[in-house]
Amino acid sequence: MTTSLADHLRALPDESLAALLQLRPDLVVPVPADVTALAVRAESRVSVARALDGLDQFTLQILDAARLTRRPEDGTTSTDAVLAMATAGPHPPAPTSVRSAVDRLRALFLLYGPESALRVAGSVDEVAPYPAGLGRPAAELDPRTAALCADAAKVRRTLLAAPPSARAVLDRLAAGPPVGSVPPGALQAPAVGTEDDLPPDTTNGGAPTGSPVRWLVDARLLVRVSTGTVELPREVGLLLRRDCGPLGPLRTSPPPVAATPREPKLADSAGAGQTMELVRHTEALLESLAAEPAPVLRSGGVGVRDLRRLARVTGLDESATALVLEVAYAAGLAGETDLPGATATRYGADQQVLPTGGYEVWRAMSLAHRWEQLARAWLTMSRQVGLVGQRDDRDRPISLLSAEAERAGAPAARRAVLGVLADLAPATAPSPDEVLALLDWRAPRRSRGREAAHREVLTEAAQLGVTGLGALTSYGRLLLADVTGTDERGGDDPLGLRSDAESGEPSSAVRALDALLPAPVDHFLVQADLSVVVPGPPDPMLAAELDVVAEHESAGGASVHRVTTASIRRALDAGYTAEDLHALFHRRSRTPVPQGLTYLVDDVARKHGGLRVGTAGGYVRSDDEALLAEVLTDRRLEPLAFRRLAPTVLVTPYQVQRMLVALRDAGYAPVPEDATGSAVLARPKARRAPARASVTSRGADPLAAPKLAMPRLLGVVEQIRRGDAAARAARRAPAVVRGGGARTAAGPMPAHSHSDALAVLQQALRDRALVWVGYVDAHGATASRLLRPVSIGAGYLRAEDERTEMLHTFALHRITAAVRED
Amino acid sequence: MSGGPLIVQSDKTLLLEIDHPDAQPCRMAIAPFAELERSPEHVHTYRLTPLGLWNARAAGHDAEGVVDALIKYSRYPVPHALLVDVAETMDRYGRLQLANDPVHGLVLRALDRLVLIEVAKSKKLAGMLGAKVDDDTIAVHPSERGRLKQALLKLGWPAEDLAGYVDGEAHPIELAESGKDGAKPFTLRSYQREAVEAFWAGGSGVVVLPCGAGKTLVGAAAMAEAKATTLILVTNTVAGRQWKRELIARTSLTEDEIGEYSGERKEIRPVTIATYQVLTARRGGAFTHLDLFGARDWGLVVYDEVHLLPAPIFRFTADLQARRRLGLTATLVREDGREGDVFSLIGPKRYDAPWKDIESQGWIAPAQCTEVRVTLTDAERMSYATAEAEERYRMAATARTKLPVVRALVQRHPNDQVLVIGGYIDQLHQLGEYLDAPIVQGSTTNKERERLFDAFRCGEIRTLVISKVGNFSIDLPEAAVAIQVSGTFGSRQEEAQRLGRVLRPKADGRQAHFYTVVSRDTIDTEYAAHRQRFLAEQGYAYTIVDADDVLGPKLPTVD
Repeated sequence: MTTSLADHLRALPDESLAALLQLRPDLVVPVPADVTALAVRAESRVSVARALDGLDQFTLQILDAARLTRRPEDGTTSTDAVLAMATAGPHPPAPTSVRSAVDRLRALFLLYGPESALRVAGSVDEVAPYPAGLGRPAAELDPRTAALCADAAKVRRTLLAAPPSARAVLDRLAAGPPVGSVPPGALQAPAVGTEDDLPPDTTNGGAPTGSPVRWLVDARLLVRVSTGTVELPREVGLLLRRDCGPLGPLRTSPPPVAATPREPKLADSAGAGQTMELVRHTEALLESLAAEPAPVLRSGGVGVRDLRRLARVTGLDESATALVLEVAYAAGLAGETDLPGATATRYGADQQVLPTGGYEVWRAMSLAHRWEQLARAWLTMSRQVGLVGQRDDRDRPISLLSAEAERAGAPAARRAVLGVLADLAPATAPSPDEVLALLDWRAPRRSRGREAAHREVLTEAAQLGVTGLGALTSYGRLLLADVTGTDERGGDDPLGLRSDAESGEPSSAVRALDALLPAPVDHFLVQADLSVVVPGPPDPMLAAELDVVAEHESAGGASVHRVTTASIRRALDAGYTAEDLHALFHRRSRTPVPQGLTYLVDDVARKHGGLRVGTAGGYVRSDDEALLAEVLTDRRLEPLAFRRLAPTVLVTPYQVQRMLVALRDAGYAPVPEDATGSAVLARPKARRAPARASVTSRGADPLAAPKLAMPRLLGVVEQIRRGDAAARAARRAPAVVRGGGARTAAGPMPAHSHSDALAVLQQALRDRALVWVGYVDAHGATASRLLRPVSIGAGYLRAEDERTEMLHTFALHRITAAVRED
Repeated sequence: MSGGPLIVQSDKTLLLEIDHPDAQPCRMAIAPFAELERSPEHVHTYRLTPLGLWNARAAGHDAEGVVDALIKYSRYPVPHALLVDVAETMDRYGRLQLANDPVHGLVLRALDRLVLIEVAKSKKLAGMLGAKVDDDTIAVHPSERGRLKQALLKLGWPAEDLAGYVDGEAHPIELAESGKDGAKPFTLRSYQREAVEAFWAGGSGVVVLPCGAGKTLVGAAAMAEAKATTLILVTNTVAGRQWKRELIARTSLTEDEIGEYSGERKEIRPVTIATYQVLTARRGGAFTHLDLFGARDWGLVVYDEVHLLPAPIFRFTADLQARRRLGLTATLVREDGREGDVFSLIGPKRYDAPWKDIESQGWIAPAQCTEVRVTLTDAERMSYATAEAEERYRMAATARTKLPVVRALVQRHPNDQVLVIGGYIDQLHQLGEYLDAPIVQGSTTNKERERLFDAFRCGEIRTLVISKVGNFSIDLPEAAVAIQVSGTFGSRQEEAQRLGRVLRPKADGRQAHFYTVVSRDTIDTEYAAHRQRFLAEQGYAYTIVDADDVLGPKLPTVD
């Protein structure tokens, strides 16, 4: 009798059950009600697929072996049978590794039951059809093929007879997957008599053979399973795999990496250099965003024009710029904000991308901390930046920071790729292809189809300085361990108490990177060409001072600044005095301050403030200095707060009008003047109502009837006649013409046939008589008009409407009725 | 982290701290591939450019070595992206080669087939390439050799020219090192010898030496090496005469063997000296003197002052690719930015010595640069303030207030030969009258000019006022003091020339002085700022003083 998975699980001790749940945590979300429910879930497609996704290539192959060795009668297999099949090939793996693979599968309960009667969990066959890339047994496919396969010698003979091109098709299908599609028509035999017209087949030695697939189907080596699809029966596949074993080539350990390890110091150094670049680029990018925020597109994200602008600023190419901005955004250094006065009716409307408040905090941190924040954000962000600039399913470009570049699998892909690098010896720099091969072995089901994303991860890691010279750096390794460790610890540390970030202690990655990065310096070298070289990263105080007094010229390991007239002026504007500047250069410079610089500072300071600018409400000027002195000292004018700018000019913060009144009240005689200096004359203006017409223009006797001129009268008559004609024309059309007559109050009318209507029209045409015509217009509505036909021909009626004096054309087939006007 | 002297910047500049103990070996390591851009007193700036990297590649350095040098001497970690970029750039040189095929003549051969396919498709090369010889080789018409090299450089795939040179018509030329006609014997200075060797090994190329470092002698030595008929292209007639005089004195050549091809004379002899001006003169839209290039089977073409080479000469040079070409200049910086054409048509840089280094070897007098700021009178300030924008520089530069300052400066050096240099004729005449000194200007006849120069050379005239003609290749020995009163908008090239005027070796090793008289608070000062930057970048001491200090009773100490 068979025992179900539920029975097995029920019989397990608690620890084993817990171990299963630890291996397949998805089983407890949500917590199943009982063991039966747990078993059902463990055999569900979704859960089985998840379990299979995490398995490496070898374990999957061993599972395939278990599936292939199932006894048809009860569906069980045994470890020995699996072992026998796995070691059947020319390069058999060690039995211990096969056994351990079986153990792994049993731990996951993808196989269960005693060793002698192992069962494969349900749904495995559905989730992964074609075990080991072999097709279904011939018996399930086609009875005639089954008959052929029953005779092993005959199958072998048929195989040997296969033409080379057919053999190539077979070999491809035998390597798996066993199903191939063929173009429609390829399986049809050529029409009788056209066999000679087939193209010559060079693979087979020249003679035309037609489609190799057709040959194979005809020979029953392939079975047609649906239109355009053929399948290789399992028996034939196994026969073809004689040379490499029934499971195909087996590889118990990951493929080796040919690259020799580099010197760890060099890799670390190159990576550290790159981390400095990343931090610098991020800062440059965010500064330029602060200066000119990027508007958010209506469809979300930042447009390509802004991306190009930012790329120009940072000096990176567009894809690298996109990565830097995406990472900064993920790290919370940039964010959207609504424009003032924005209407929040649509997503993304009137928004801008700007540096956030977090950027200020970030800027104040040490280089290594800043990098760590970015790198962590990169590791965990669910964005695939490589998609930016490509086109989506609807052929629209995917823009930066838009939702289209969101990929939930991105963090897992990064960890998978970096995990591969981390598992190699330190400073090993495998080629991208080797990394992909390793990934393919580790989790074939997961890495399939994601090669592009994985390559992208390698490029990004190089740009972020996580790798250097192609190898994972020491601090990158620590960071990776830290990030994955946090995930794994998650259950034990629900409040995040042990996280490094919270405790304020720098993480190990930061400490490792710190040791590689140059220490901040607090001095510079001044040279006679007025350049200022800071031989290392400046400490924040020094950077702030240099920002004010010099222009930035070149950045990198050191920074070069240049003192110019403009920069000295800026410093003076910012409140420095010439002495402060001399002291600053003297204090900070390791080299003697050049005479040229001292001279420049003094020279600019001498001229600084030579012009003074201010605002005033109005001024008083006079050529008479004594008069102005009098005004200035006049107590009555004190509220005006006059200030003497020059012997002949006073200014006040108050408006001209107020000043005029006050001056006049005090007995002076001021004259206002305009911008050109000419006097503005102001005379009092009297109030007036709007103009009116005089009554004299009217007629003498308001009661006399107006006289009408003859032409005017004739016009009136014509107007009246025209109205009369219109009234006549407006008479209602006969009921038969209106709406087919069926719904008229007069009751059902005899059907008025189309031919009758034509006859009526033709008669009216001859008589030049008026006709009521009913017709269906272009919108399907019925309408009627009183018309005088002009011509009938080519399917159209041309007729004159007397009311509107227009010529109309009607398609005859639209005319429903016609009645002579009486 | 190593405490090296080099800091690599992300904009591909290299900062070399010269006070560092490893500075000298580091300089030797990076000199082959990085170009010295600025050499002020503490930190020298080198730049990595594609041209520089290709120059290094042409000289046999590989990317691995460059990367190693950067990592070895760098104080801080070098960004990975920069190292990758350097390697990729260097890798582009020499993937294509111009070579002589015994059957097909001149061919373009690819070491990388894909590159050949890429460039062959380019529209820029249309019509230059001939038939395909095989998958890796395409025939090239010999007349397109220069233009092809130019176009390939623009495409970023510079070709290595291995096609060799014609020997030209042989003509015996020897250096007269033992002294000729009773002249003192001389030997080539070490750097001149190195420059000639580097040039000869490379076949064609440019030698960069500062003014006064004996470029003429490098040319003469190259001629002695070639032992063939030589065409020398110079900037003007005076410079041509100078070359002739020097060649007669320093080589076995006699006066009859050297021809002058200028506006005045049209002689074609085994060694012919032609001016750029006459070659680029056109009549009816056509260049009338082009035949000169084909007049003889020249074995060597010498270009004096390559940085001034006019654009038409480039076009003629493109047709001369089979002849050895030597470019001589004080600076590769061209105001028109055509450094790439110099690289592809004349050749890569073969030798370069930092000025300051040559000076420290004692060949060039150390110069003291002083800027004297003159305060304009109120009347001058007022007329300057109200002048039209295009008039302003002239007004500021030619302010009369400068005259007494110039005289005071001249009087400070009673025993020295003094050159007063200006750009405006009116001002020069004023100066001439004021200082009672003769004037050399564009309209002065060659004969008069040479008479004045001779008089100046032997000390009969102590002070000479010269116009822009002084910018070009004339030889003024023993001019210990130069005073510049106006110039052409502070161009770097002009500055190098003027400084060169006073940097000629002094017999007694006295201090040379270079004064610039500038009007304070005017546009003149802004140009002076450029000048200050350029001179300081060349490593010269630069002081700014007020005119009152010069005119006042107490002479300031300037050192």
